[in-house]
Amino acid sequence: MEQLTTIGLNHYLTISAILLGLGLFAVMTRKNAIVVLMGVELILNAANINFLAFSKYNGGMEGVMFALFIIVIAAAEAAIALAIVINIFKIFKSVDVSSIDSMKE
Amino acid sequence: MHSLIQLSIVVLLLPLLSFVILIFFNRRLPRRGDFIGVGILGTAFGISAYIFWSVIVQTYDPAFRVAWDFTWIDLGNVPGVGPLEIRMGVVIDNLTSIMLAMVTLISLLVHLYSTGYMAGDKNYGRYFAFLGIFTFSMLGIVLSDNFFSIYIFWELVGLSSYLLIGFFFEKDSAADAQKKAFLANRVGDIGMWLGILILYSQFHTFSFEQIYANLAAGKFALSNGWLTAAGILLFMGCVGKSAQFPLHIWLPDAMEGPTPVSALIHAATMVAAGVYFVARIFVMLTPDALHVIAFIGASTAFMAATIAITQNDIKRVLAYSTVSQLGYMVLGLGVGAYSASLFHLVTHAFFKACLFLGSGAIIHAMHHEQDMRWMGALRKKMPWTFATFTLATLALAGLPLTSGFMSKDAILAGAIGFAEVEGGGIYYLIPVLGFFSAMLTAFYMGRQIWLVFFGESRTHLKPADNHHQAHHAHDSHATHGDAHHGAHEVHEVSWNMRAPLVILAALSVFAVYSPDPLDGAKGWFMKMIPTPATVVGEANPQIGALAAGSVAPQHAGVVRTTEVVPPPVVTEHAAPAAAHGEAKGGHVYSDPRQAEIVHAGHAAHYTAIYISSIMVVLGICMAFVVYVFKIIDPEKTANAIRPLYLFSLNKWYWDEIYEATFIKGSMVLARMLSWFDTNIVDGIVNGVATLVRKFAFANDSFDRHVVDGMVNFTAFTVNTTGAVLRKLQTGKVQTYVVMLMLVLFGYFVFYFTRLIY
Repeated sequence: MEQLTTIGLNHYLTISAILLGLGLFAVMTRKNAIVVLMGVELILNAANINFLAFSKYNGGMEGVMFALFIIVIAAAEAAIALAIVINIFKIFKSVDVSSIDSMKE
Repeated sequence: MHSLIQLSIVVLLLPLLSFVILIFFNRRLPRRGDFIGVGILGTAFGISAYIFWSVIVQTYDPAFRVAWDFTWIDLGNVPGVGPLEIRMGVVIDNLTSIMLAMVTLISLLVHLYSTGYMAGDKNYGRYFAFLGIFTFSMLGIVLSDNFFSIYIFWELVGLSSYLLIGFFFEKDSAADAQKKAFLANRVGDIGMWLGILILYSQFHTFSFEQIYANLAAGKFALSNGWLTAAGILLFMGCVGKSAQFPLHIWLPDAMEGPTPVSALIHAATMVAAGVYFVARIFVMLTPDALHVIAFIGASTAFMAATIAITQNDIKRVLAYSTVSQLGYMVLGLGVGAYSASLFHLVTHAFFKACLFLGSGAIIHAMHHEQDMRWMGALRKKMPWTFATFTLATLALAGLPLTSGFMSKDAILAGAIGFAEVEGGGIYYLIPVLGFFSAMLTAFYMGRQIWLVFFGESRTHLKPADNHHQAHHAHDSHATHGDAHHGAHEVHEVSWNMRAPLVILAALSVFAVYSPDPLDGAKGWFMKMIPTPATVVGEANPQIGALAAGSVAPQHAGVVRTTEVVPPPVVTEHAAPAAAHGEAKGGHVYSDPRQAEIVHAGHAAHYTAIYISSIMVVLGICMAFVVYVFKIIDPEKTANAIRPLYLFSLNKWYWDEIYEATFIKGSMVLARMLSWFDTNIVDGIVNGVATLVRKFAFANDSFDRHVVDGMVNFTAFTVNTTGAVLRKLQTGKVQTYVVMLMLVLFGYFVFYFTRLIY
């Protein structure tokens, strides 16, 4: 019962795992590059939730610091990735990742 | 360093200087530099004469000896040999100073003579250069104090002799003669070198003095047979150089050289170097070795004399006479008549040089006619040559009042003494052969004098084709290109050729050597060159026993039984002197055998004189009977005893024998070796080549199939793998992510299953 009434570490980790699964699913299955990027954001945030949860239940501020860095880096990553996607679109006139396979062989 | 040593080194090096100057600069010098050769030799003779004066005349000591040496090459401790230090040195004793004066004097006279004889030759300058290096080498032999340096100079005189015999090398005969001389000498020199090595292996020194000191101290570790072998091997050097039987064949052919060269090298000095060398090693010769030497000398003397009586070439007669006289000297050393033998060396050098130079003058005047059959009646036309030639002939034949009489007689007396001491029998063969050769010598020299100087001129009798050939040779000689017409005009030669003849003839008179014309032993020479004490044999350790008179000396091979053994330390005439009443100041012999021989030799002195005089007179009478009174016609006699005549004319067929044995033998050997070479050696080489080819083919296929196969297989594998793996690289990002996840999943599964179990 307590498992259901009191929110503990496991709940956070479960949420994080679900989020990671959704992110991975998006990355692996979506064709649109933008959606793939969004999947990546989900994965990063799943990691963030893990860090913060462990930080909270373990004491110490290292997890918080990591989460902060990850947010900053995710922003930078998003910026660069969107720039790449724009360039891809300029070249291939498409953002469909399944059709962009010119590095094959 | 003794001042005489310094002077002798100057004498030694002066002719070398002459050689160096003349060989390099003769074309730039006036008269091709002949005055340099003559001048330098004059200086060398002057210094040698001074050395002679101070050693022989002023010191007058039989035991005089000064020596000096230095380390030439020090090789340290050679593995397998021991310490090897080669020293060079100079020794001056009475013999050396006499030889120095003799060699430089004859060399000087020959130089002077050559300015006339060789005038106009196209290689005039080179000729004098060669004379220079010959004189240098000869003086080196004379001055050497050890085996090593004497061997070096020995080879150098061989080289000079080779160069000078082949001086007219355009002529095939001269080129062949020089080769023959060189090869014959090589055979002897090999033996000599082996002898030196036997001695060296025992004592680790080359020095005469040290080797003899060691021998005298009984340090020779090997048996006496080895010492005899060493002596005979060393004597082989003399057999080659002094043209003894069986290597005598080269000397008559060496007459192809210019006649002054024959006088200097092949009569007076170089061929006597062999005798000089045997004299130097005399003290270490065992009685056995001496017997061998005596028999070789006697047979050489006899054989050469029999050949000389039928030769027609004026120089060949003299050449065989030289071989014969060298045989006398060797015989003398072999029988132990040491002083007499060296005495004969010196007297022979002078009168034989005179004869050769005289024959050179005749040949020069006759425009290179050498055949005595076409000479005759030269007495009036060439009075100087006639007088000197005759005097020298008398000395060679051994008539009283000449130098040759004294020396030859001393040798023969020694030979008689030797035969008596050795107990007669076969040993009497040596003096008998000696006396018989003396008679033959008188005969052939009488024949030569008569054919050349007396009778009618026979120039016109010469067959025409020969005449033509002679002119041909004469042209190639290029001496008198314009003198063709003068073949019949014979004149006396000029002063520079006459002066040497006169000087040499003067030195053939008895008074130079001894006040008593019948006994050379009374002269300064034999007093100054005493027989040295031997350093070998059982004599030495047995001295004490011998003194007690209890042990008879036993020289290997000769067993004497009841002879009276003289005391071991004998003055020259000690006990017997009283009996003979001719006591002379003598020297001391440590060897009873030597003392005995010397004593017996002295006792036989007058016997020898009588017999040899009779023989000589007999020989001369025979020559008179045959050639002057013509009682016996030489041609008919020759026909009557044709085999004997041909035997002598063809030089006992030695050339043919050697042709049939050694030359044919070496040809057969060469052919066998050639067969071996083409079939066996080449076969091995070709076999190896085939094997290598086979191996190379195998290698090649291994390379192509195995090595290349491995390389290709690798490439194939990589290719195939690549083709499979290429499929995985789709270029789609999502595929990679899926794969990443699969791998991650796989890892987790693996990790956790490990964790659980």
